[in-house]
Amino acid sequence: MARDRQSEDYVTPLRRLFVGLLVLAMLGLFLIWRIDSPRVERFRAAVIDRVVPSFEWALVPVTGLVNLAQDFQSYQQLAAQNDDLRRELQQMKAWKEAAAQLQQENAKLLGLNNVRLDPQLTFVTGVVMTDSGSPFRQSVLVNVGARDGILDGWATMDGIGLVGRISGVGQEISRVILLTDTSSRIPVTVQPSGQRAILAGDNTLNPPIEFLDDADVVRPGDLVVTSGDGGVFPPDLQVGQVARGTDGRLRVRLSADYERLKFLRVLRAQGHEIITDPGGLLAPATTKAVDVITDATDG
Amino acid sequence: MAENPTMQVWTGRAVFTFVMIAIIFIQLLPLDTRPDNWAAPDLMLTGALAWTARRPDFAPVFLVAALFLLADFLFQRPPGLWTGLMVIMTEIFRTRARHIRNVPLMLEWGSVAAGVVVITLVYRVALTIVMTPQPPLGLTLIQMAMTIAIYPLVVVIAHFIFGVARPAPGQTDSLGHRI
Repeated sequence: MARDRQSEDYVTPLRRLFVGLLVLAMLGLFLIWRIDSPRVERFRAAVIDRVVPSFEWALVPVTGLVNLAQDFQSYQQLAAQNDDLRRELQQMKAWKEAAAQLQQENAKLLGLNNVRLDPQLTFVTGVVMTDSGSPFRQSVLVNVGARDGILDGWATMDGIGLVGRISGVGQEISRVILLTDTSSRIPVTVQPSGQRAILAGDNTLNPPIEFLDDADVVRPGDLVVTSGDGGVFPPDLQVGQVARGTDGRLRVRLSADYERLKFLRVLRAQGHEIITDPGGLLAPATTKAVDVITDATDG
Repeated sequence: MAENPTMQVWTGRAVFTFVMIAIIFIQLLPLDTRPDNWAAPDLMLTGALAWTARRPDFAPVFLVAALFLLADFLFQRPPGLWTGLMVIMTEIFRTRARHIRNVPLMLEWGSVAAGVVVITLVYRVALTIVMTPQPPLGLTLIQMAMTIAIYPLVVVIAHFIFGVARPAPGQTDSLGHRI
């Protein structure tokens, strides 16, 4: 090459040094992330917190437009869908009747038993802003964050079923790791057999059930709800139905509509009281104990 | 623009930044939150390669590093690793750019394909070594193949829409340096 390199002779080594340092810094960042993940993840949340809201003005209308176009395409199938819906509506009427009766009965029984449903389980609703942007990660960002009192680990649902958990909270934004993500592990119970298992996301729409005690008593169609084990989630949130995958494994057909995640409810789980002491001894009070008690009240 | 080459370089850099940000933006749109059983091509990777192989001065190393680091953070990737690999890779293409300029598109495509395969493998191996959870191998391979397949299209778009043409032999910048 007949290139005149005279003028660049002092630039090239400096540039090489700079590039080398840059690469080292990047790999160093990766190692730091691997060693001290929470700190770097907090930094990531801060970056996302700054960057994504500045995209929002464009994200919302573009998403809206594309959805509009998709909706327009789906008008073609409307006639067929309409027929189907009418037929389903007929069936639903019967179910509605049954449900109303059951509701009355349930209310009556609850009243009789003096059951108190968890009064502290309230929720915050957020709008999905972006998805993870990668085919290998299943997560979405919602527009509620630390400002709204969101904490890491809270359960997130759409109207029907469990969607995922909060992982990473920024000031105005938080990330929801979906149940389909490879890092998602949720303790579940399969009803009606009551088998405990783990729902392990594997980047497919129907995550498999793992660590099932006795797979013989579980059938496709069984209901899957959260078990509340380990205090991860409140118990009895609907997750989906058991189905047998093409590979023969038991999988869960999720109740939440993953096709269009738009509004998500973040459940404010307050954490349940944990009883730690084994309970006192029930014995007749001795005189000494009585003395101690009187001392305590005097003092 | 054409009469002022310094201006032209800065315009080229602005266009590169704009294209990369647009790709990030489009990938972030929450259009379909179901997991796919195929993976779209990694447009940022092909874009960066097309730019560095054809007009390295439009895609300076600090810009590549900044954009890919931003993408690492936004896309939930382990931060730094992919950026580091991309910097190494674009530097290799940058030093070869003068050479690549004279070869036909098929050969350029071949070297890009080799680069994409190597970077994908190194990335996977690095993640395995530090025991990070990994995406399914099938998806990665699909993405790799798609990324390689899309390269000529990206080159055509970069050429005709964003003006990333190989400089003619002997073309000089505003200070009289050959580029």
